[in-house]
Amino acid sequence: MESLGEETWDVVISGTGLSQSLLALALSRSNKRIIHLDKNDFYGEHDAALSLQEADAWAQTYAGGGAAQQLDQPHSSTNGTEVPVAGPSGAANVDNSTTATPPSKEGSSIFRNAHMWKHSDAEAKGLSFPRAYSLALAPQIIHTRSELLSQLVSSKAYRQVEFLAVRPSFFIYCTTDTNGAMLARIPSSREDVFSARNIPPRSKRRLMTFLKFVIDYDSDEQKPVWQEKANKPLSEFLVDKFKFDDEDLRDSILALTLTLDEKITVEDGLAMIHRHISSMGLFGRGFCAVYPKWGGVSEIAQVGCRAGAVGGGIYMLDTEVSISEQGNGSEVTLNLSNKASIKTTAVVSSQQTCSAETHTIARLVAIINSPLDSLFDHLADHPKPAVTVIVFSMDPPIYAFVHSSDTGECPEGQSVIYMTMKATPQSSEALDGALECVLQVLESVPDEPEADVLYKLYYEQGTSAREPVVKSQGSATMFEFPSPSVGLAFDDTSLDAVKEAWKIIMNNEVPDDEFMKFEDREGMGDDDDDVSD
Amino acid sequence: MSGNRNYDFLIKLLLIGDSGVGKSCCLLRFSEDSFTPSFITTIGIDFKIRTIELDGKRVKLQIWDTAGQERFRTITTAYYRGAMGILLVYDVTDQRSFENIRTWFANVEQHATEGVNKILIGNKCDWEEKRVVSTEQGEALANELGIPFLEVSAKSNINIDKAFYNLAADIKKRIIDTSKTDPSSSAVPVGRATTESGGKCC
Repeated sequence: MESLGEETWDVVISGTGLSQSLLALALSRSNKRIIHLDKNDFYGEHDAALSLQEADAWAQTYAGGGAAQQLDQPHSSTNGTEVPVAGPSGAANVDNSTTATPPSKEGSSIFRNAHMWKHSDAEAKGLSFPRAYSLALAPQIIHTRSELLSQLVSSKAYRQVEFLAVRPSFFIYCTTDTNGAMLARIPSSREDVFSARNIPPRSKRRLMTFLKFVIDYDSDEQKPVWQEKANKPLSEFLVDKFKFDDEDLRDSILALTLTLDEKITVEDGLAMIHRHISSMGLFGRGFCAVYPKWGGVSEIAQVGCRAGAVGGGIYMLDTEVSISEQGNGSEVTLNLSNKASIKTTAVVSSQQTCSAETHTIARLVAIINSPLDSLFDHLADHPKPAVTVIVFSMDPPIYAFVHSSDTGECPEGQSVIYMTMKATPQSSEALDGALECVLQVLESVPDEPEADVLYKLYYEQGTSAREPVVKSQGSATMFEFPSPSVGLAFDDTSLDAVKEAWKIIMNNEVPDDEFMKFEDREGMGDDDDDVSD
Repeated sequence: MSGNRNYDFLIKLLLIGDSGVGKSCCLLRFSEDSFTPSFITTIGIDFKIRTIELDGKRVKLQIWDTAGQERFRTITTAYYRGAMGILLVYDVTDQRSFENIRTWFANVEQHATEGVNKILIGNKCDWEEKRVVSTEQGEALANELGIPFLEVSAKSNINIDKAFYNLAADIKKRIIDTSKTDPSSSAVPVGRATTESGGKCC
C-alpha cells in the first residue's frame, strides 16, 4: 500500500454514486485535499452501470434480503438456466427463518432479491461478450429543464457526456376487441393531438384545454382551479374538472407523470406533466428529455469523479472505510480495508439501508437480440431517439424503457428493456408478463424480426430516508446522502443535498451562487461544440 | 458544422501507463514545449491541445491525461470513450512500469473502441546510466503487441513530436482518409437553449 501521508484530509468521500460524484465535481476547483473511495470495484454505487460479468457477481451479492427469496420462475424459464440464488456467504437462504422478513424492509439494503436468468442458448442467439453490455442499475431519463443539466453545463462537465434523445411521445399498451393488443402513441403536444387518429374530436378539444392549463398551472390565475384538490388523486380531478370520462384518455394523461403509483396526487401529477410538456423543444425540436450514453447517470458520476481527480482528488475503488476512533476532537481517524489509516475532518457517504416509509420498486432488465427499430421512429428533422417509453396502465402501472444500441448499453442489432413497477409479491411475474406482451405486440409489426430474450436481471430497489443525515463527531462532520430516488425521471430535489454538503465542506468560504460554476480548463472554445461529430 | 473552426480534423488521444513514467511531462513537452523536473502527481491537467499540420490539413490533437487515476488503477471507463489513439508509456529506468504495459494494453482492449491506434513509448531514454529496459526489449514487446514503438525523452526533447505525429498520421490514415468516421452520432446538444423554447407545443 502506497502511503497516503500523515496530513489530515479535508474530506473523505465514500461511495461513487451520483450525489457523491457531483460533490466531487463541485469541489474539484476548491484545492481541498480529498480522498474519494468506493467499496465496489466499479464506479457508480447505486447508480452504476454493469457489464454482464459484474451484473452476475452483483446479483449474487444482492440475492437475499426479503420474503420473496424463493423467486418465481420467470415465464420463459423452460428454455433457460436458473442460477442458484446464494447470498455472499452461501448460507443465507438455507435457514428458513431468515426468509421471513416482513414486507416493510426497514433496515435492509437498498437492493435485494436480485436474480439473473440467461437463455440456455444465449450465445448462439447472439449474446455477445460480457463487456459489450453496460446495464444501468437505476436508469433515469433527464428532462431538458432539469437543474442537473444546468449544473453540468455551468460546470463544463457536460462536454464529456454524450446526451441522447428520449422519444418525445410515449407509447401506451392497449388491447382492443378487434385488433388485439397494440401500442398507441400518447399525445403530449398540440401537434400530437391534431395528428392523432384514434381520438374523437370532442376528446381532442378537452385534451387541448388540459395541455393549455398544465403549461401555466402554477400561475395565480390557474392555481385556484386545483389548489383545493392538491392532495386528491389526479385521476378523479381529470374527470371532475376536464371531463376525461374516457378511461383510455385518462390513462394516457396519467402515464405522462411517469408515476409508479396509480394514486398520484393532483399536485405531484400536475408538476410532473408540466415538467414533461414544458421541457419539449428546449434544446431543439423533437425531444423533452435526454439520456446519457453508456449507462445514464452512471456516466455522469464517472465524469464527476474524473473532474475530482483532475482537481487533485485521490481515487480508490474496492476499498472499504470504517471509523476507528474519534481522534483529537477536530478530526476522525478512518481505517481503510487496504490497511491504510487516514485522518480527516469530514466524511461524506450515502445511506445504505431502507427506511420503512418509502416504497420499494421492482426492476427487470432484459437484453433482446433485436434492435426493435419500430419503437425508435422519428420525424426527419428530429433527433433519432435512443430511449422509448412504453406504459402499461394497470394498478400499479408498469413501465418499459426500451434502450437502443445507440446508448452503448448493448451491441448493435440488440436492445435493452428496463421494466419497472412498484414491488408487490407478484412483481417478478408481472414484469415478466409485461415483457412478453411488448415482444408479442412487436411481432405483429411488419418488418420487425423475431425477438428473443437473451438475459434477464430481476431485483428490487428501496430507498433510504429522503433527507441527508448530518452528524458531528467532535468538530468533524459526517454527512450521508439519501439513496437515489426510484423515480423514472431524474428528481432535481436530490441536488439540494449535494449543495448542502458542498456548503458544509466549503465552510461558507465561497458565495452560494458560485456552486458548480467553472470555466473550461483548457482550449475548449465555442468552436469545439461539435467535438463529438 | 461551425464555419469559424480553426482546424480540419479533431483527434482525441489518451496517455496511459504507470505513475511516474512521465506521461504529463511528454504531454507538456509536446503541447507547451516545457519541462518540469519536479516529481508531482498530475493535478489540474484534464487535457491539452495542439494543432499540427498533416498533409496540408490542420489536425487538432486533444490529448487527455489520466489525472492521477492510474495510481490505484481507478481510471474511469468514461476516460476511454471516443479515443482514437492511445500512447502506452513506460519508463526505461523502471522495469515494473515496462512489465505493467501488458496490463494497460489489456485495459485498453477492454474499454477503448475496437481498432483504436496505439503506440508504445519508452520515456527517459536520455538517462542511459539508469536504464534497465533495453531498446531491443521495447521493440520486442511492441512487435508482440503489434503496435509501433519509439523511445523518447521529454526532458531532452527527443522524439516527442515524432511520437505524436506518427500516431496522428496513423489515425488519419485509418479514419479520415478512408472516411470511416464513427457510426453517425445521434447526440443532442444541451449546452444552449434554442430560441423557440419550451411551451411552444401548446
